[in-house]
Amino acid sequence: MPAIEVRNLKKSYGATVAVDGISFEVERGECFGLLGPNGAGKSTTIHCVVGALRPDSGEVRLDGEADPTRPSVRAKIGVAPQPIALYEDLTAEENLEFFGKLYNLGADVRKTRIEMALEFSGLAARRKDRVSTYSGGMQRRLNLVSGILHDPPVILLDEPTVGVDPQSRNLIFDNIESLKRLGRTIVYTTHYMEEAQRLCDRVAIIDRGKILALDTVEGLLRAHGGPPTVQVEFARKPAALEDLGGEWEENTLRVRTERPMEVLGRIAGMGDAFQHVSIERADLEAVFLHLTGKKLRD
Amino acid sequence: MNAILTIALKDLKLLARDKAGFFWVLLFPILMAVFFGAISSGGSGNRAAMPIAVVDKDGSPYARAFLSELKKSEALRVREADLDSARLLVRRGQLVAYVALWPGAGRSFGFGGDSAMIELGLDPSRRAEAGYLRGLVTAATFSTMRGQFSTGGSGREMIRQSLATLQTDLTRSPEERRRAAGVLNNLERFMVSLDSTEGAGDTTGAAATTAAGAGGPRIKVIDIAEEENGPRNAYEITFPSSVMWALIGVCMSFAISIVHERIRGTFLRLRLAPISRSQVLAGKGLAAFLAALGAATLLLVLAAVVFNVRITNPPALAVALVAAAFCFTGLMMLISVFGRTHSAVAGAGWAVLLVMSMTGGGMIPLIAMPAWMQSVSNFSLVKWGVLAVEGAIWRGFSAQEMAVPVGILLAAGVVGFAVGARALAGSEG
Repeated sequence: MPAIEVRNLKKSYGATVAVDGISFEVERGECFGLLGPNGAGKSTTIHCVVGALRPDSGEVRLDGEADPTRPSVRAKIGVAPQPIALYEDLTAEENLEFFGKLYNLGADVRKTRIEMALEFSGLAARRKDRVSTYSGGMQRRLNLVSGILHDPPVILLDEPTVGVDPQSRNLIFDNIESLKRLGRTIVYTTHYMEEAQRLCDRVAIIDRGKILALDTVEGLLRAHGGPPTVQVEFARKPAALEDLGGEWEENTLRVRTERPMEVLGRIAGMGDAFQHVSIERADLEAVFLHLTGKKLRD
Repeated sequence: MNAILTIALKDLKLLARDKAGFFWVLLFPILMAVFFGAISSGGSGNRAAMPIAVVDKDGSPYARAFLSELKKSEALRVREADLDSARLLVRRGQLVAYVALWPGAGRSFGFGGDSAMIELGLDPSRRAEAGYLRGLVTAATFSTMRGQFSTGGSGREMIRQSLATLQTDLTRSPEERRRAAGVLNNLERFMVSLDSTEGAGDTTGAAATTAAGAGGPRIKVIDIAEEENGPRNAYEITFPSSVMWALIGVCMSFAISIVHERIRGTFLRLRLAPISRSQVLAGKGLAAFLAALGAATLLLVLAAVVFNVRITNPPALAVALVAAAFCFTGLMMLISVFGRTHSAVAGAGWAVLLVMSMTGGGMIPLIAMPAWMQSVSNFSLVKWGVLAVEGAIWRGFSAQEMAVPVGILLAAGVVGFAVGARALAGSEG
């Protein structure tokens, strides 16, 4: 039985269709990505999955249960919402204490989990400081651990790295990879293709409320990414390379080809001096471009 | 229940750490009560003419002369009325006071022996003017008496007749006759002294007070709001209003905190916890209720300990405070769904509550409102809150009388909470 099953989910706000017939399954222990631009319907999907929003139609099953609002089901879910959902006038420790009590953790278990969460997020030294004094990255880390304090088997992370510095982002990635190693099921929404590519076992590309493609990263690249691109920057634009095809931009040639090494060999054999050579593999950005005709961050 | 208490305690902790919220909930109402109490208790300097009524139950030439003397005062705007009308007008706040001359006042020049011949019925919310008004009445008494004596007519004739009657009155003991004759002889000497000072100046309130201090007229002063049960000082009027300000402060603080939680995402986190929506709302409501009750109790303890406010019926006061706190908790839930942003909720909430406060006695005491405004105030929950608290403090409400404001407050609380909670649930999709 999958950890999460979503069937033909639909949700509209007035005339605006936010989620338009989405279906997917997330296996236990899998890290599943929802990749799409802002407004694609990722957060609405997450909110419907956890029962914070009532879908117009469709079905959601969490651990086989059809009603995600049941307390017994909610206890199995951990959510890090996109906004920093913390009490700024409480300290990190007080926030965790509060959420621990809400999840009915006993005093001893709560104490242990709070210690672990503070260590996990790298905030142990600032535990007594009010959240309002934290940097954006520290708040994001606390936001993440507040959602998983009760050690749920299913974790939904809604854009958990928005607006954080590179150091905090790396720390969050490390945290998520640790959770993967512990066998937790993770749903991860993002509009950063690098994150989906690094963390997710499978990725659903979503735009305008619809899933356009769903596969492993490799599968998506194979199916929609196109061939690698050979990029060569010459000292001067040579005249005899027109038959290689590709596109010129000043002195730089870009050739999309299934045989990049062969193309490189031909260029080298012609003896023209070049300054820089690279072979770029297609990425999820290219997949999104191929599927929608626009860039992820447009 | 644990989840509800956890949410409530968290909210109370947040309120205690919110300096601005703390100010509006506790310090501002105290400042309001003390400030308005102080200016109502003190009071001197230039005043507008005070509207009063004179009730002439005596009908003597003395009474007419007294009325004429009062009318001369620039500090008063005098009209004549019967006793019931005068009391009603004072009760409604249309007059500051009435002055009644009882039968026999003319014979005794208002002094009246053992019983007061002059009654001063006062609006308790205008207690600041009581001393001044009493001084004016005393001045008019002396001035009238002086007029009676200095004309050489009725005053001296009356003394002579009284002395003659006294000599032959065998119903009194010799000792009684001796004392009464002494009073009349003193009065005659006083009349002679008035003659010798004639033209030395007019009779001012201060002079009258001095004369009164040496044996002036007996004036019975009563508060008209609840006869003898009226408020004893201005703070008994201002503190019930300040309790309402505290409740308004709590109401707005928590309404805005709900919007804040919805915007920040913490409300979503609460909703995703393994607790029901009703537990979340009950937790928020419990925190608001406890904060309201705590702030109101603190204010009234301060009022009783420092400002000499009587708590005549503590059990009724407890009921009144619980009902008022419950009402404003329900109102808080309703106001929290007036908008989706801080500014929308704050703007709409304050607009509603300020109007309620203005019309309900939060700014102008209920007791001082004209009749039409008192009718309008029936639509204000602040009015019923003030009335319930005053009912337990100084109005001396019976259980039946308390039931009306308390019932209205509880009903409004239930409706506000139910409608607000439903709208909140609906707005979450």
